[in-house]
Amino acid sequence: MISGVIVVVIFWIGWVSSNPADEKAMATFVSVEGLIQQNIDKRTKLGGLVKDGSIQISETNHLDCTFILKEGQTELSVKYNRTRPDLFKDGAEVIVTGQYLNGTFYADELQTKCASRYEGDLRDKNSYNLTEIDT
Amino acid sequence: MTPIAGGVALNMAFGFSILTVLTLIIYTRNGDQRLYLTGHRLALGISFFVFLATFILSYQLIISNFDLDYVARYSSLETPTMYKISALWAGQSGSLLFWLFILSVYTTITTIQNQNKHNRLMPWVIITLASVQMFFLVLTNFVTNPFMPTEADFVVANGNGLNPLLQNVTMAIHPPTLYLGYVGFSVPFGFAISALMNRDTSPLWIQSIRRWTLVAWLFLSVGIILGGWWAYQELGWGGYWAWDPVENASFMPWLTATAFVHSIIIQEKKDMLRVWNMVLIILTFTLCIFGTFLTRSGVMSSVHSFTASSLGPIFLTFVFFILVVSFGVMYTRMNDLRSPRKMESFSSRESGFLFNNMVFVVMCFAVFWGTLFPVFSEAVRGTKITVGPPFFNQINVPIGFILLALTGIGPLLAWRKTGKKNLIRNFTFPILSGLIAAIIFILIGLEANVVISFSLCVFVTATVLTEFARGIRARTNKFDESIITALTRMVSKNRSRYGGYVVHLGIVLMFIGFTGHAFDKEKEFSLKVGENDHVAGYEFELIRLFESERPNYYAWVSDLRVTDDNGNFVTNLHPEKRVYFHRNPDPNRRQPHSELDIHSTLNKDIYSVFSAVDNENGVAFIKIMVNPLVRWVWIGGYILVFGTVIALWPRKDS
Amino acid sequence: MDFVRDYGFILILFILPVIFVLQPLFLPNLGKQENPMDDKALKRKKLLIYRQIKELEMEFDMGNINEADYHATRKELKQEVSKVISQLTPKN
Repeated sequence: MISGVIVVVIFWIGWVSSNPADEKAMATFVSVEGLIQQNIDKRTKLGGLVKDGSIQISETNHLDCTFILKEGQTELSVKYNRTRPDLFKDGAEVIVTGQYLNGTFYADELQTKCASRYEGDLRDKNSYNLTEIDT
Repeated sequence: MTPIAGGVALNMAFGFSILTVLTLIIYTRNGDQRLYLTGHRLALGISFFVFLATFILSYQLIISNFDLDYVARYSSLETPTMYKISALWAGQSGSLLFWLFILSVYTTITTIQNQNKHNRLMPWVIITLASVQMFFLVLTNFVTNPFMPTEADFVVANGNGLNPLLQNVTMAIHPPTLYLGYVGFSVPFGFAISALMNRDTSPLWIQSIRRWTLVAWLFLSVGIILGGWWAYQELGWGGYWAWDPVENASFMPWLTATAFVHSIIIQEKKDMLRVWNMVLIILTFTLCIFGTFLTRSGVMSSVHSFTASSLGPIFLTFVFFILVVSFGVMYTRMNDLRSPRKMESFSSRESGFLFNNMVFVVMCFAVFWGTLFPVFSEAVRGTKITVGPPFFNQINVPIGFILLALTGIGPLLAWRKTGKKNLIRNFTFPILSGLIAAIIFILIGLEANVVISFSLCVFVTATVLTEFARGIRARTNKFDESIITALTRMVSKNRSRYGGYVVHLGIVLMFIGFTGHAFDKEKEFSLKVGENDHVAGYEFELIRLFESERPNYYAWVSDLRVTDDNGNFVTNLHPEKRVYFHRNPDPNRRQPHSELDIHSTLNKDIYSVFSAVDNENGVAFIKIMVNPLVRWVWIGGYILVFGTVIALWPRKDS
Repeated sequence: MDFVRDYGFILILFILPVIFVLQPLFLPNLGKQENPMDDKALKRKKLLIYRQIKELEMEFDMGNINEADYHATRKELKQEVSKVISQLTPKN
């Protein structure tokens, strides 16, 4: 009976891993270059720097925001319309999650890496992974 | 006292740990009492030097000696004294030393407490604990030494300072609590290994670790809850649990430990499940080490590479070593572990416990799978796929329901075999109340998961109450006591049992809180003074917006007036936008931070975040979340602590 | 004075523990100590079995155990406890 339960559980977990009910359950990490070249329309996660002077914030609701994400030499325009993290600014290292559509990346998650003041240290900060939760 | 003494203390501790292990291993071979005495004192010596090193580092933090790299990184002149001390566990090397410190406290208590008890078990217990100390001493001596001098050719005038997110009372006590839990499982693990080495697998050793296990479990639980509470109070995304790798790292050992806490009852009473208990305690301890590794090595947080820290391989080697050695020893002792008794019936208390254990382990495996999925997917397919909360929820919500149901079913089953008559008598009232509740919730129009969760909560509460009622009735019939006397005597004579039931009630309350998440409402908007906006039946008006400078930060403070639909005043909320280190000439080094404000009631929390300010136009950007029932998670936490304390309270006769 | 202060600390903090640890090795041989089950462990075992009997009675009163099982287990436990008592040193 125990082995039966184990088999069922493994199949179930495997099935959920390959067919998650919510499309936001998983995101593939890709490079900006790879995303543009292969025109991936699945949910993806990108990392890069915010290009200096590229942040534009809507005058009307102050939430809609576009900026240019740079990874190496590749640039990509990103749209984001939720509350921005405290450390989001020119030159900040960010991770965005969302979907690529017609040359623009529509992000619904924006995470910042931490300020230079804590460079390298923050990862170790207090058993808490700030880069992952500082959204 | 110079920092050099700290380094030397760590060297000495390392040397002592090697000597302890050698001396005691020789003792187990030749039985010379002098060796045992020396080994015993050596073990105390390790701890003494660790205490000394910890004391020196804390002192350096307090006097702000920036010649030490660690002090310069995690403290500064402005850091309040309390947080200077908590900087001890803010960074990698300090927190490893702190781990070692707690382990040394536990080792000292165990060594002294059992000096004259368990003479056969103690040598191997000390050997095991000293080996774990040795591992952390290797790390703090040779890999990340907290006493490294600052690498600068100038005098460091001021340190980096502690991250403002960590300048918070909860965050100062959350890591120590969690560590007290993690490290606490070393002691039961030591006894388990010792029992194996001595081929002593009678329930007696289980008795001697029962209380240790509960203490460790309590600290781990409280640590996890505090972590959630901190995230909720400080991080501003309105939740307390995000299935973050670091959270999972503490949740996995909690799951196996909870299974262990239950299954040792069976070994104690029935002398069954010996192998299973060994497996559980080995897994729990390994997961504690693995959890420390996940939080400390940077494996999960680094985005592009897995080799961010040299700690990774060393930790993995140690984890592998523990597993191979423990299971290796266990394999050679399989004959001793064979239990004299067998499960007799599917519908017995024993099999209820076993089933609950399996579900805990399954849940642990699911969390493990999800946490390491990015690593697996990269290894197998070459693409790194990250897994978000929806994945964990999809798998763990049903498992959580099964566990909740078992919480109710288990106590109603009789030992060995539940007769049909008993089955009907015990289950009628709880099942009826669960069903009636379910019908009511369906009629109200709640969604499926919510109906299941709430009805199970009613069912479990009903079973716990019937358990108490039946116990009281049995006593009042037999001894002619009043209900109150019967209750207090019954609880005080069966502390672990009724304490356990109280913990179950706490868990039920926490589930009620988790379920409230289904009704969360959220809205982001911008306001000028005098303007208002509406969220979930509340109106938010910005009455004032002013600036204020305080000792270690600069703040924009908002004053939001909250009224309900009928125009009745509810509360004033004052979320702030702060800039820490605002006097720093380098703007990149100033750190903005949103200090949120919560209006909390039993029914719902109104959660406000001041996310940004537009100075020129006097506009505040506000995020409001209305989160029903969150309070019950924390209340459940208090009940859980209360129940565990009942179970732990010492009896006069022992 | 500084010299005495600094090295005094070192003496106390680093040398004394070493002496403390080595001291037992210079004792005369204490011989091997055989530890079958000592009295304390046995007394503890006795206490535990007594508690199990009490709990069994409670389970029975609450109806969690049927009559036949109850009597059988109770008898088993009583036998066990008398075995433990007979092993205890007869001085008390």
